[in-house]
This record gives sequence, structure tokens and C-alpha cells, in this order.
Amino acid sequence: MSEKTISNNPASVIYQRCTVDLATGTTTFAQVPCKNLEDVLGGFGRSFQILAERDIAEAYCPENPVILNTGLLTGTSIMTGMRSYFSGYSPLKQSGTGRPGAMWSTGSGNFGNKFKWTGLDEVIFENRSERPVYALLKEGANGPEVELKPADHLVGLTGHAKIMALYQEYPEAHFAAIGPAGENWQNNYMGAVVMSTDNELKSGEPKSRFAGRGGMGSLMGYKNLLAVVALSSDKLQKITPEIRDVNRDILKSGGSARFQPASQGGGGGTWANIEVLQVFHAVPLNNFRPKGNDDVERLFRDEVEKEFDIATEACHRCGIRCHNNLFYKNEDGSRGKLAAKFDFEPLILFGSNLGVHEPAKVCDLIHRCDLLGMDAISLGTTISYVLDYNERHPDKPLFNGATFGDYDKIAELIEGAGRGTLPGIARGVKRLSEETGETAYAMHVKGLELPAYLPDTNPGYMFAIAGGHMSMGTHMMLAKEGKHSLEEWTQAITTGGLLQVGYDMIGLCKFVGVGIGHDIIVRALKEAAGLEIASEDIVAAVRRAYLRGLALELRQGFHEEKEYTLPSQVMNDPNPKVTLPKFITNEFLGELRQRVWGIFKPEMKGLLPVQGE
Amino acid sequence: MQIKVKLYASLRRQKFDEADWEITPDQKIASIVEQLGLARQDVGTVLVNGLHAGWDETVADGDVVSLLPRMGGG
Ligand code: SF4
Repeated sequence: MSEKTISNNPASVIYQRCTVDLATGTTTFAQVPCKNLEDVLGGFGRSFQILAERDIAEAYCPENPVILNTGLLTGTSIMTGMRSYFSGYSPLKQSGTGRPGAMWSTGSGNFGNKFKWTGLDEVIFENRSERPVYALLKEGANGPEVELKPADHLVGLTGHAKIMALYQEYPEAHFAAIGPAGENWQNNYMGAVVMSTDNELKSGEPKSRFAGRGGMGSLMGYKNLLAVVALSSDKLQKITPEIRDVNRDILKSGGSARFQPASQGGGGGTWANIEVLQVFHAVPLNNFRPKGNDDVERLFRDEVEKEFDIATEACHRCGIRCHNNLFYKNEDGSRGKLAAKFDFEPLILFGSNLGVHEPAKVCDLIHRCDLLGMDAISLGTTISYVLDYNERHPDKPLFNGATFGDYDKIAELIEGAGRGTLPGIARGVKRLSEETGETAYAMHVKGLELPAYLPDTNPGYMFAIAGGHMSMGTHMMLAKEGKHSLEEWTQAITTGGLLQVGYDMIGLCKFVGVGIGHDIIVRALKEAAGLEIASEDIVAAVRRAYLRGLALELRQGFHEEKEYTLPSQVMNDPNPKVTLPKFITNEFLGELRQRVWGIFKPEMKGLLPVQGE
Repeated sequence: MQIKVKLYASLRRQKFDEADWEITPDQKIASIVEQLGLARQDVGTVLVNGLHAGWDETVADGDVVSLLPRMGGG
């Protein structure tokens, strides 16, 4: 960004774009003035405006770009300010008409910083390369430079191994790569983008972060773009007294405290959710169907600590330190090799939700998924469907006949999905359940598999635009507050819930944990980006960006009633074991949809460009 | 009068899992939390006999008060 004032003049903020034609290798640089505040804030707020200009009928087509960009605070010294975003039309999220939905996914690590410090704000990868390539983004004497390089030596490597191979060549860089899953894009729609961390490069251990949702890694695979290297000198922003105060307030806010290490009095990351949700027997078990027993308690932190050494680690300079990495213990009690990262989603989706309760086995399954470069949520949730189906049809099972708890066979399914030999799994649960004809217990909304929060507790999933809990912050509302009236849910979805996506514009982690219009955010933008933006303007821009995403869904053919719903098991066969109020009926959802659309639709008018113009 | 207090996750690790606790008849939940030595901002959810309750509510003799830390994810 070059200008430092904005007020009512977003065009005074210029961002640096590079368009890379993967078919010809040509690169075009442009200084682009922002059209609106969404452009200024960045992330999906900007990329979705580019996607909205295109008429894309299938994800795997040359016209569907992969857009890599940053948020306004990426690369600054504001704590967690290191996010980068990958956007495109998703191979996984698909409407009933067959048209793909627009998606973004995001991750931390130091890649976002290094990318931003090359001088680029956005790279649009167009078309596809004939040969496997990686893109080298670097700072040159006269500004950023971008080159495509042959990547044959990276073919077949895990995401982590690709990163480590590139690190040998570029020891000053950070990396975003795909794994075997993304390379097998024809048969795998849930490929993730694997992003390097300082800890990973230093230790050589696979401590990557992931931009997992929506198959952006598969889209990169289709384009034959195996990795992106961001090579720049470190440009750590000076920590002024004001920035120091913002960071102190982030650390002290109750919002982020819950993600800080348990050893320092914090909540211990999202892992702690398991114990809280278990109070209500609301931890997903055996394909999102808790039994009211204590099976999941074997995955409580205290239990796992008996077997593993738990290290809380962090991305570059982040004091929240939300990563819980598990290490095997050597016989002498010292720390052994890395077992896996252990956070709520993978822990549940490869643990209790598959009927696997031994921590060491859960670690192994997570580790396999990570190395193959798949989205843990999509894969775990699709496999839980397979196990559920097989339990219902012992005479005619799917694939290798795996059922709940069948660790060895589950490991085979993960390998097969990642290596492209089990497309039935790796194309996601929506397609699989439509093939089997049993859709009631296929846990997805709009083709995106549900994260590890029961749909029985969250009608807000219907209005998430990029994954159930990343883009609609209502997934904990029932457990937290017990609210279950139509008024409360309408209010939650149409106000606070949607604002969750603001973090996916500005370049910070959601783990900062305050509302997007909070004074901390306003001060962060002012002190680190030099832009004074009023809280209400930030909120309005985030709301427009969200609604544009929703409008784009409707334009891609998502049916405003039939596809804005939950898996029908939730309504037709409520689970008596969950002790939270059971309020989600077909009538409730119908009325909720009507009220929410009634609020959103008038505001959605004019947010999309008229196509053809 | 006496109630039972149950703590979960990080709160449990700070204090105890479960304890009988003496309170005065009109004591509000906010004051019970303070008496327990817990920071209010660390407590996300209060349940009385399994149902969600607010800071200003009072409890009856023999009630079970469960305190859960703030939750989040994403
Ligand atoms: S909050 Fe967690 S994921 Fe985000 S920057 Fe900090 S350590 Fe990384």
C-alpha cells in the first residue's frame, strides 16, 4: 500500500498486483487503486470482488484464478498479523446446479509476512501450466519480481518435504506448497495449501500451518502450481509505544486469553473446547452422534499429557502461542520426535468422531492427513460418514469396510484419499452421499464438510459462506449462552455472527478474539497501517463483503431454501443424548431462513457487478 | 446455605474439580464467582442445575453451579 490516508477516498490507497499467466509464464504488474473499503482491508474482501467479475461454471477451468493476497495488517508488528489468503472458485463447494462456489482459505506462519515484504499485495495466477512449476516471488532492485521455475523435483513430495526442499535453495524465504492430495486434483477436491513456519524450517519437523478449506490446494494442483516461494529480507515494523499497547491489549483481552498456553493460565487453545462441550455431551462422536458417554474424555488434555510431552508454540513473534504440538516421550522422559499438532478440529474429527480414542492413534491419523496436504475437516468428516454408512450396511460396506474405531482401515482410507486412489472419499461427503442415496447423515452444508461442532447446535451453518465456523461465528452460541429462540438466532446471524469474516480481510487471526469493530482493531489499523477508519466503517465494509459472498452463492445457483439447510438427521431424528435445548425443526429453519433473507436480501442489491459489463 | 460448585477445563486447573460451597441466601452468581477467587472475564458460561444462568441470578440451597471457561474457535 502506498498512500496513508483514506477517509472517503479509498482510491487514495494503492495496492500492488502481479498477474501471472501460468500458460505463458508472463507476468504483469499493476498499481491498483482501491474501489472501496473492502479493497482497502484486503483478504477475501478484495479477492471476492475479482471473482465476482468472472462467470465460472466449473472449478477446474483456466479462467478460474487462484488469488493470493494479504490483509491490511499482514506484515505489520500487530500481533498475529501474518495471514495470507488463497481464493478461487472451489472444486468442493458446489451448488445443486453444478456451479462452484467462491471460497477463500487462510493460514498463518511466516509466509504471509515474507510475501508482503516482497512488495506485493496480490498475485493472481491465471490459466494453467503445462509442466509442474513453482512461483518465486521476490523483492528486486526496482520493486517486486515474479518468476516461474520448473518444479519436477518436487512432484510427489509431501507438503512439508516440498517446503524443506525449497528451503535448501532459498534459506531466507518462506513457502506455501501443496501435498500429494493437491497434485491428485482430479481425484481429490480437498487439497490444502501447506504453509511454512519458523519452527518448521529450524527444526525440520512438519510444523506447518494450513489454508485448508475449500480445496484451494487442489485448484493449485490443477494449475500445476506446486508451490509459492516468498523471498524477501525481513522488514519488521518498528514497535512504537502505540503498537506495543495494542499488542498488550490483545494479549490481555479475555478473547485471546482462552487460546494462550494453559501453563500460563490461558485456556490452552481450542483444545479446551472439548472439555466444555462434553458438559453437554455435545462433542462429535461417531459421525456427529454423541452417545452421552465419557469416551471423549480420554482426549482431555490431562489424559494426553500422561503419554505425550505437550509444547505450546507460536507463529513468528506471536504471544498468543496457540499451537499445541505433541511430542513422543523418550524412555528417559526427554522429548522425542513430533507426533502431531493437536487442536480441537483434528483432535475430534480424527479422534472421537471416528470412534478412535487413543491419543497416539489420533496423532498418527492427523499426521497422515497433514503430510498428504488435505483439509482435516473435509477429510475427517467424509470418513466419519463412510464409517457410519458401513455400520448401517455391514452386508454391503463402502471401500475397505472400515467402521468406527477401526484405526488401521481408517489410516488406509486417509492414504488412499491423499494419493488419489479413493476419489469417492476425496471428492467430499456431498458427492459421496448423493451416490449412496443416503444424505441424511452426510455432514455438510453447501458441499463443505462441517467442522467439529454439532449441527444440532448451530443453525448458523446455513449462512456460513466459506466453511461452517470460519465464516459465521455462531458455532458456540448455544453452548455458551443457551439461546435458542428465532429472534436470538436471527439477530446472531445477521449481526455479530457474520462479522467473524472481518478477520479474513485485515490479516489478523480470529484468535485475537474481539469483535471486528473493537477499539483494539481501530487502533491497530491506525498505528500499524496509518489509516484512520472509524469502527462503524469497518463493520459496514465487513458486512458488505460478507453479503457480496452470499450474493455470489445465489448467483452460482445455490438454492435459497433447499441448500440453506442442515443435514436432515438433525431435524428428523434429534439426538436425545445432547443435553442442550433441541430446537431445530424444519419449521424453525424455514422461519429462520425467511427472516434472515428478509434482512439480507435488500442489502445484497447492487453488490455484484452486472456481468458482461 | 450450601451449594455444589463444579469447575471445568482451565478453571478446574486453577482451583478444584468440584466442591461444596457455603453461600448466603441472596448471594448472586457474580458474587459467588468472586468469592471463589475466579476472574469474571475467565468465566464464559454459568449453569445452574444444567441450565444457563446469568450473573445476577441467585441460587437455592443444594443447587449445582457449574462454571465453564470462555470458549472459542476458528
Ligand atoms: S494466534 Fe496462533 S495461529 Fe495465530 S499467529 Fe498466533 S500462534 Fe499463529
